[in-house]
Amino acid sequence: MRKAIAFLGLGLMLGSCAAVPSEPFDRQGLSVPLPKFADETAGSGLIQTYSGERRYVVGGGLAHLDCNADGMTDLYLAGGAAPAKLYRNTGTAGGPLAFVAQDDAALALDAVTGAYALDIDGDGLQDLAVLRFGENVLFRGLGDCRFERANEAWGFDGGAAWTTAFAAIWEEGADWPTLAIGNYIDLDQPGAPWGTCFDNQLHRPATGGGFAAPLALAPGHCALSILFTDWNGDGRADLRVSNDRQYYRGGEEQLWHVPPGAPPRAYTREEGWAQLQVWGMGIASHDVTGDGLPDYFLTSMADNKLRTLDPDAAGPAYSDIAFGRGVTAHRPYQGDQSKPSTAWHAEFQDVNNDGLADLFVAKGNVDAMADFAMEDPNNLLLGLPDGSFVEAGGLSGLDSGARGRGAAVADLNADGLLDVVVVNRNQPVQVWRNLGIDRSGDSGSWLRVKPRQPGGNRDAVGAWIELRTPEGLQRREVFVGGGHASGGMDWQHFGLGGAQEAELRVRWPGGTWGPWLAMSAGTSVEVSRDDSGGDRVAVSE
Amino acid sequence: MKRVVRGLAAGILTAGLVASAATAAMAQTVVGVSWSNFQEERWKTDEAAMKAELERLGATYISADAQSSNEKQIADIEGLIARGATALIVLAQDASAIVPGIAKATAEGIPVVGYDRLIEVPDVFYLTFDNKEVGRIQAREVFKAQPKGNYVFIKGSSADPNADFLHSGQLEVLDAAIKAGDIKVVGEQYTDGWLPENAQKNMEQILTANDNKVDAVVASNDGTAGGVVAALTAQGMEGLPVSGQDGDHAALNRVAKGLQTVSVWKDARELGKAAAAIAVQLSTGTMADKVEGATKWSGGPKGVTMDAIFLNPIPITSGNLNLVIDAGWVGKDVVCQGVDAAKAPAACK
Repeated sequence: MRKAIAFLGLGLMLGSCAAVPSEPFDRQGLSVPLPKFADETAGSGLIQTYSGERRYVVGGGLAHLDCNADGMTDLYLAGGAAPAKLYRNTGTAGGPLAFVAQDDAALALDAVTGAYALDIDGDGLQDLAVLRFGENVLFRGLGDCRFERANEAWGFDGGAAWTTAFAAIWEEGADWPTLAIGNYIDLDQPGAPWGTCFDNQLHRPATGGGFAAPLALAPGHCALSILFTDWNGDGRADLRVSNDRQYYRGGEEQLWHVPPGAPPRAYTREEGWAQLQVWGMGIASHDVTGDGLPDYFLTSMADNKLRTLDPDAAGPAYSDIAFGRGVTAHRPYQGDQSKPSTAWHAEFQDVNNDGLADLFVAKGNVDAMADFAMEDPNNLLLGLPDGSFVEAGGLSGLDSGARGRGAAVADLNADGLLDVVVVNRNQPVQVWRNLGIDRSGDSGSWLRVKPRQPGGNRDAVGAWIELRTPEGLQRREVFVGGGHASGGMDWQHFGLGGAQEAELRVRWPGGTWGPWLAMSAGTSVEVSRDDSGGDRVAVSE
Repeated sequence: MKRVVRGLAAGILTAGLVASAATAAMAQTVVGVSWSNFQEERWKTDEAAMKAELERLGATYISADAQSSNEKQIADIEGLIARGATALIVLAQDASAIVPGIAKATAEGIPVVGYDRLIEVPDVFYLTFDNKEVGRIQAREVFKAQPKGNYVFIKGSSADPNADFLHSGQLEVLDAAIKAGDIKVVGEQYTDGWLPENAQKNMEQILTANDNKVDAVVASNDGTAGGVVAALTAQGMEGLPVSGQDGDHAALNRVAKGLQTVSVWKDARELGKAAAAIAVQLSTGTMADKVEGATKWSGGPKGVTMDAIFLNPIPITSGNLNLVIDAGWVGKDVVCQGVDAAKAPAACK
């Protein structure tokens, strides 16, 4: 049943005809392809500001998804005290970024801090998990970018906490996901905000669909990002929680066992989990070291962390490699460098299609913290062949003076080049279009993949994808969670560098590696699980 | 004598390993200073004082700038050791995160002075100003000027643990008078980001809420004091007792003009000088608890017992403004600018 289609004219054409800026461009000695971004906020139709009082000092997220099955990525943007908004993507493949606000009273909630997209009920339509100061709301996707509130229908207890983080995984054999909710400060407790963090919650499926009453993940340490991730490659995800040390007392970063059918349990010192205290704001995950396991970039204030599993560790013992790899990103790379940075959303993506993952980090002062940089531009750390990274935030045009929070690195105009959208605190959302590479000879090819499988977990959350070309092997985990209050269900984007063909295989959730499948550059491909006949490939329009 | 022996051994060991530094390490004391972020203007004053004192004592100064990165600071400490440092002065970027670097130094018997910020490790010598005393001094000076009446507390940023620390020192002094009913607290506000404009806004609201019936303001630093004085002046209430901290030039001018009662001053040069002297003593064989002025202290969050010296902050009032001028901290022309000659304090005459 294997149906590998070798060639799609449109895709290849788009791949090779990316706009190349004509003006001279100072690369400042950069050795890898430099993508150029244009701020298209003004013409994009996106008009949204994350605003409000102190409770909206964190959060400021967005969800990205294709809610009307037109192949274009749509956006749901948090507004804080102002209503959240859904924007339909009205642009065309390869064209300028264009969005139109969808008039939807149900979705236009206030008190929204962030949102994640995923197909919760397994009907093939993307749903929304909307995080709020107050009750969280799950929305069932109905198609054509229409949604309906589903808390009651799905038995989901939205709680009344200050929610700032979300992650989802399908546990073994489950047709419905397990949702993890991360919460921040309980302002009603005596002594708040110091040491008054809410507990977090784990919502497991109920028998027959929907959700059971949540289990507490206690103690909570003021989570700002959580992620289900298979950190040791045993095929089962645990839950990593990044916490804000500003407010907890005696807290730390956390990793929870989430054993099927048993209550969650925090990893202990005896198991190798060491105390780490950071102003944890966001988690980005990628196999940076090439050991086949994810490494975790944790955003914070001043130093950011890149944590890698110790080679011979029996348990989750991690070391910092951010300094050696050049990703501490601890102070502004331009302007006033006398004060440290504040980092929020982070995401590994290959924005220059050279086959090496890059790292985007949204930056911005908490509000008016005088000990930290006020002008704090976003980072674009381009991956280098030796495994380190080099700053290109300013060179690429992604620098901004706004207070960045949540973000997405996603292909918003379906041209094989990843664009960037950032939600800012008290300043308008910004969106940049990736115009391609400054030197035409450097332009790499690309491939977009959506893994598909039968059952409730249709988008294969928890799968691993490996892609190989003569230039090397790339791996990525399919996850819902992490970042800062932002996450999407979108194409898995791979840069292929100079390769025109690649092979790809999937380790499906609860399964083993499928066969290597041949792919052509410049295509958007659905890979469907077939454990008996071999995985199938379909090239989509 | 344990520390002394280890210190000497490490000096020789380091010298043997690093040929280029061998002569220096054997011949003399090399004090390595690890700055958290040298781009912050204030540390240049500390550095000058350190350098001068080290030169006077015949020791060599080497340094590294962590640029706000604790991972870089760990590498910096290793680098200073490799360059032959026989003692370290460490201004921690993140005291808990750099413990691995500190452990490396102490394992090699190299004494470490924790400078200004607490590094809560047993072998580290802690040198700082007595920060708790700052809050006490603020309250004491305001209380002297106004022992009864309606008090307002303009605290620092709620996101900064220091703000609560200062406030607890203030309450320590005023608690009895509050309980006795002599002092009534009519307003208490955090100041977002320690910003003067926020302090001013908060003070305006408190004045409105109390029909201007306010007799004294305990403000936690000079920036917030500036906001408070602006709010008072707008209501024609300037001259009320107001506290501050930092020896900001504008605040010292307000003290001279009678608009602010006190600015608590921490002389960075004294801190730098003391650190240099302690590092040289430790490096040349003095045991930590035999350093002049050293006390045993265990007041940190983890309760670790450490050798420490706490320098006293100085209350600068209209009566002793000459101290900051004589010390070269600020010029007389700046302090005394616009001061009415008839009411001028002695320092401005």
